[in-house]
Amino acid sequence: MTTNKPTILIYATEPQEELLREICAGMEEEGIPFSIVRKAAMDFDDLCFESANDSILGAGIGIRGSRAALHLRLLPKGKQLFSTVNPTLSQARCLGANAARAVKRIPFKEL
Amino acid sequence: MKLIAGVDIGNSTTEVCIGSFDDDGKVTFLASASKLTTGTKGTLANVPGIKAALEEAMGRLQKPVSSLSLIRINEATPVIGDTAMETITETIITESSMIGHNPSTPAGTGQAVGTILHIARLDQGREELPYILIADSSYSYEKVAELANQYSKRLNLTGIILQADEAVLVWNRLERKIPIVDEVKNISQIPEGKLAAVEVALPGQTVRMLSNPYGIATLLKLNADETKQVTPIAKSLIGKRSAVVIKTPHGNVKENILPAGEIYLEAGKTYVVNIDAGADKIMETLEEAGEVEDIRGQDNTNIGNMLSGIKAGMGEVSGETGGNIRITDILAVDTLAPVPIAGSLAGEACLEKAVGIAAMVKTQQLPMEKIALELKRQLNINVKVAGVEAVMASLGAITTPGTRLPLAILDLGGGSTDAAVIDEDGRVAVTHQAGAGELVTMLIQTELGLTSRLEAEQIKKYPLAKIESLYHMRLESGAIHFFEEAVDPKYFGSVVLLAPGEMIKLTQDIPLEKIAAVRSEAKKKVFLRNAVRALKKVAPENNLRNIPNIVLVGGSAEDFEVPEMLMEEFISFKIVCGRGNIRGTQGPRNAVATGLVLSYIGG
Repeated sequence: MTTNKPTILIYATEPQEELLREICAGMEEEGIPFSIVRKAAMDFDDLCFESANDSILGAGIGIRGSRAALHLRLLPKGKQLFSTVNPTLSQARCLGANAARAVKRIPFKEL
Repeated sequence: MKLIAGVDIGNSTTEVCIGSFDDDGKVTFLASASKLTTGTKGTLANVPGIKAALEEAMGRLQKPVSSLSLIRINEATPVIGDTAMETITETIITESSMIGHNPSTPAGTGQAVGTILHIARLDQGREELPYILIADSSYSYEKVAELANQYSKRLNLTGIILQADEAVLVWNRLERKIPIVDEVKNISQIPEGKLAAVEVALPGQTVRMLSNPYGIATLLKLNADETKQVTPIAKSLIGKRSAVVIKTPHGNVKENILPAGEIYLEAGKTYVVNIDAGADKIMETLEEAGEVEDIRGQDNTNIGNMLSGIKAGMGEVSGETGGNIRITDILAVDTLAPVPIAGSLAGEACLEKAVGIAAMVKTQQLPMEKIALELKRQLNINVKVAGVEAVMASLGAITTPGTRLPLAILDLGGGSTDAAVIDEDGRVAVTHQAGAGELVTMLIQTELGLTSRLEAEQIKKYPLAKIESLYHMRLESGAIHFFEEAVDPKYFGSVVLLAPGEMIKLTQDIPLEKIAAVRSEAKKKVFLRNAVRALKKVAPENNLRNIPNIVLVGGSAEDFEVPEMLMEEFISFKIVCGRGNIRGTQGPRNAVATGLVLSYIGG
């Protein structure tokens, strides 16, 4: 499914809710809109790749369980920009902030 | 046929030029080489570097070094440059009464005034007073928003100061929108119960009320005396996106003039000038003094220690004692240095006035003879110390196509800017001026507040670019360059330096335009001023118009923008000025080595 609004797309399969919440907070603090799309079981690399390619802003986040990664359009499948497994809450916040910063074109935070 | 080598030992590189003389005394240039100088210029440690350069040059001719019949090395000018920086003002803010910084995402816009109230003591707030809420990072954004919403029904909350980077998150959850400043690290130092003003600028703008003394006076209801006191605060908040000013009745802010010391110029009589007077005054006095014998600083002051330190350093190199080492020239440059403010709450710095100084020391002579003897012993070839450096450089410079006599050379080095004029009769006038590449590096380091000297050096040398996406960058000139492969994400959105073969990421987040402006301003302050000063000294009748050509030689002549700056300056005097091209092939390097070969006549 694609949305028409310019947002960062989050494709999530059974996400850890706390992780999802922190990632969203990261984007909100940076002031970039996002939409969450819940997906039935999907391969992690596909989640990331499709989220970035479907997003008008060209940035997407894939979440499956406790794994989360930031993907940008033009990057090949499986080559996520930042990828984390079981991140701490502040790492999750940074991942979200970096998705927004990729759109704003300002330097990333250290994950 | 004889093979002659010219060897020029410079501060950074050792240059070699090989020429062959036939029986009629006609010279043909065969090869050249350049190696990093080993050790300090003018010491025995130079010998390995000289040998390496000779081997490289002779290797190109496929001949052994032993087939040389003579090696001529330069009589290095016994001058050494050094630089130092003195801050002459200092802002002292006691009882931490201001915050001014650029958090990446403050929230809300506008100004607010109120008494500072900690979030834990909201229940003690009184209904009739306006309050500014402070919250440390132990409170989540949800909790801050919830409490603010709950209490704003009863209390008049006008602004919020946060420790965490959560201004937007809180603001989005507020029912009544108020300005929020975040990322204030030392929030525990903010005094509670004091009156404070908060301002967040409109998008794309900077604070307007708090960077204006009358703005602060309006918000905090100050009288004329108090307004005068807060002027340094207003000054240091210029250009910030968000700011907080706290009224502390016993707090104090003042701009001190530091006692930086006096400089004594010995030129027949003693001229005295205070560092506080600034660069222009110092240079004026220096010009007035004329031929200077020695320059000293007032004892036990910053400038005094700095100047005697330079002399001591030079004494070690030359092995001479104090009396023979004299500072004969200085170049002073006004600059601004960001100095961290003592007791700041968010790591703020204030721009302070400073003077950068390059000094030049003249000694009797560098021990070049010792180097010559050692080289002779190791290679078993005749070695001769021949010719004054500047004369040799002039001789080499004439081989640049399109030049004629009289000719001026400007040798833009690291420590000193040297000029020489050679006229139709072969007479040469020479001068050495303090201040060159190293002073430029120091100015860049100071004005940008960099911690590393190497980084400043790199900024001086390489053009800038901004990485705008993983696949392209925008160059300083505005042009766009695309990458084949995605770049490392660490470069994303950053300003980088385009060094040969690699990109260097800058450690601090400074806009590209500002770096470029500081860099070219520093080069102009040092090289333009010194070029004019040096050429005036050697020009016939001290008039620049009597020089038809200027050839730029030396390391800094290879800079990507300095030659153009000088060209623009001298075009108004109808002077042909440009980067040298020694023997039509060597660029601005190898002038002295070439001159050493050329000056060999017969036996």
